[in-house]
Amino acid sequence: MSSASLVSSDRLRWRRISRAASFRSLTALSACLVGLVLVLIILFLALYAWPAVQLNGAGFLTQNNWNLGNLYGNPVTVHGQTILPGAQYGILFLIAGTLLSTAIALLIAVPFGVASAMFLSEGVPPPMRPWISFFVELLAAIPSVVYGLWGYVVVIPFLGHYVFPFVVRWLGFIPFLGGPSGSGYGLFTAGFVLSLMIVPLITATLRDALVEQPRELREGAMALGATRFEALWTVLLPAVRRVLTGATILATGRALGETMAVLMVSGNALNYLPGNIYTPISTMASFIVSQLDSALQDPTGMAVRSLAEVALVLCLISIVVNALARVLLYYQGHQVQRAF
Amino acid sequence: MLHSQKSISILTRWLIPCACVLGLALGSGVAIASNAAKTGAGANLLETGSSLLYPLFNLWVPAYTQSHPNVRITTQSTGSGTGISQAVEGIAQIGASDAYMSDALLKQHRDMLNIPLAISMQMVNYNLPGLNRDHLKLSGPVLAEIYQGKVKNWNDKSIADLNPGVKLPNHSIIPVHRTDGSGDTFIFTQYLSFSAPEWGNSIRYGTTVSWPAVSGELGAVGNPGMITASKDNPYSIAYIGTSYENAIEKDGLGIAMLRNHDGDFVLPETKTADAAAAVMVAKTPKDERVSLIFAPGADSYPIINYEYAIVNRKQPSPATAAALRDFFTWAISPSGGNAERFMKEVNFVALPATVAKLSADQIAEIQ
Repeated sequence: MSSASLVSSDRLRWRRISRAASFRSLTALSACLVGLVLVLIILFLALYAWPAVQLNGAGFLTQNNWNLGNLYGNPVTVHGQTILPGAQYGILFLIAGTLLSTAIALLIAVPFGVASAMFLSEGVPPPMRPWISFFVELLAAIPSVVYGLWGYVVVIPFLGHYVFPFVVRWLGFIPFLGGPSGSGYGLFTAGFVLSLMIVPLITATLRDALVEQPRELREGAMALGATRFEALWTVLLPAVRRVLTGATILATGRALGETMAVLMVSGNALNYLPGNIYTPISTMASFIVSQLDSALQDPTGMAVRSLAEVALVLCLISIVVNALARVLLYYQGHQVQRAF
Repeated sequence: MLHSQKSISILTRWLIPCACVLGLALGSGVAIASNAAKTGAGANLLETGSSLLYPLFNLWVPAYTQSHPNVRITTQSTGSGTGISQAVEGIAQIGASDAYMSDALLKQHRDMLNIPLAISMQMVNYNLPGLNRDHLKLSGPVLAEIYQGKVKNWNDKSIADLNPGVKLPNHSIIPVHRTDGSGDTFIFTQYLSFSAPEWGNSIRYGTTVSWPAVSGELGAVGNPGMITASKDNPYSIAYIGTSYENAIEKDGLGIAMLRNHDGDFVLPETKTADAAAAVMVAKTPKDERVSLIFAPGADSYPIINYEYAIVNRKQPSPATAAALRDFFTWAISPSGGNAERFMKEVNFVALPATVAKLSADQIAEIQ
């Protein structure tokens, strides 16, 4: 081997190392930027909403009085902040609407998602599986406004005219199912449309996980005399419990922040808590959209700042949900390890 | 060999999708550019806002652009709140609104003009099976109590007292109100504020108000949303702009007679709107921001208002300013947009000559 080729291979190696280093710093920079954007958004929201936080205090979370005040009056000073006379901001009804509609969505979506994932991974003849899972994944790709429009045109008249009066008549004795059946816009309709949007998320994730479980698990269970269903229910499903939790959390995040579809079917209630599942509600995300134009007419700007405070609360709730999920996953991980 | 394979896979994995995205972006860019070229040297005006004014703009724009082919006017029905805020922000050149801007808002945006283009009315509509042709009589104080949840049933004594001999149903009232920032909310709550002191001292008026929580109440977006809500819900009551009277009649909803300042019950008609306008126009100040609600006079309909164009007097280009001046001048002219054939179609009333003069003065300020 000549010395010339040695030098050139050294140079080549150095070039590869430096390329790796620059690639590393590039990816590190991208990762930092992503984190920085998140921090900056929260920081911006907090700073922008700060005058509203000072004005509204804790009542913001505990009262039902979103009131822009007298839009045609002259601004007054309250607690050092310039606001319109009579302006008050309390969003308990928004927090309740957001959490309740998400809870209804999960109550419907999780059982359906698990059942359909089980069927898609075990019940469908193997040649058809890729097609059916492709179809399920397509459902997840439909823009939410399409669900909203469909909910508006199809679901609301159907639920409002046929289903709700029927349920009130026969199941009205159950708490929150009785009382006036309303017009179709409201808590249950919002939760139902949300559940349709998140079922594909749960199904697709869970189906992939079930299919990827080692053959031995299934074979072992069957060797012990389990039927196909028993193998699935007692062995495979517990093995993907963590995946189910993870998928449910992703779905919760989507339901909490969903805007357009909810705006179109929720009835946009203002300042009262739902008395039953047919009552109109508003959610935090849809409220921000529907009230921004009105808020922009507040010359003191406090209404927009209070909307920013709504956004801040929504962010915090999402972060708390995610953190809770991590804790849950952590403990589940330990349990699974112990079980093996 | 291995190297070249890798470069091919990189090519397929990254470059082709990138090229696709780039191509798409370029394509749409070219499409937009060619679209812009088509409109040529003329102006592109965006009108957005009031759903009450929207039907009139939809009659005006084709008629106007026929004789002015180089002006393109896009119309949107988004609510007066959006009209005001998008005009202030400069997103729309024409903000359509049934409400004038407040003193405090105008102080922040001194260049905004509030130019009346026509006079409109608002109906109070109801959906009472069997009674929709009977023109129920209602008053401001009773409406205020309905929208506060104090009068809950249709056969409540206060409604029955206004309608002797009418067999009112024993059914709860479903009040419908707007949830978007709305000029209709503005003029309706002004009627309640001026005629029912209790409302005027607590809830007051605005494009958005803090509606008292009433069991069974509904929120709706835009005048079309109000019509759908009242049509779909028997026993509901709603306030809807008179430009939707044809739709109201098609759906068979009731139109209420309202008690005016002098205590008489009147229907929204050209005659009663003219009577109210005759009393109120003399009070119109130079900047034309004035309420025409609850006019005195035996024949005066209590809810009439100016339909405003909210416009910035300082336009970014002389061409846009000229196009706006020309369009507005046509719109307020009795031989142009204020002609009988347009007004009749939407049940509006033409601007009286003195007000048209004030509007013309404001239009001349657009530069």
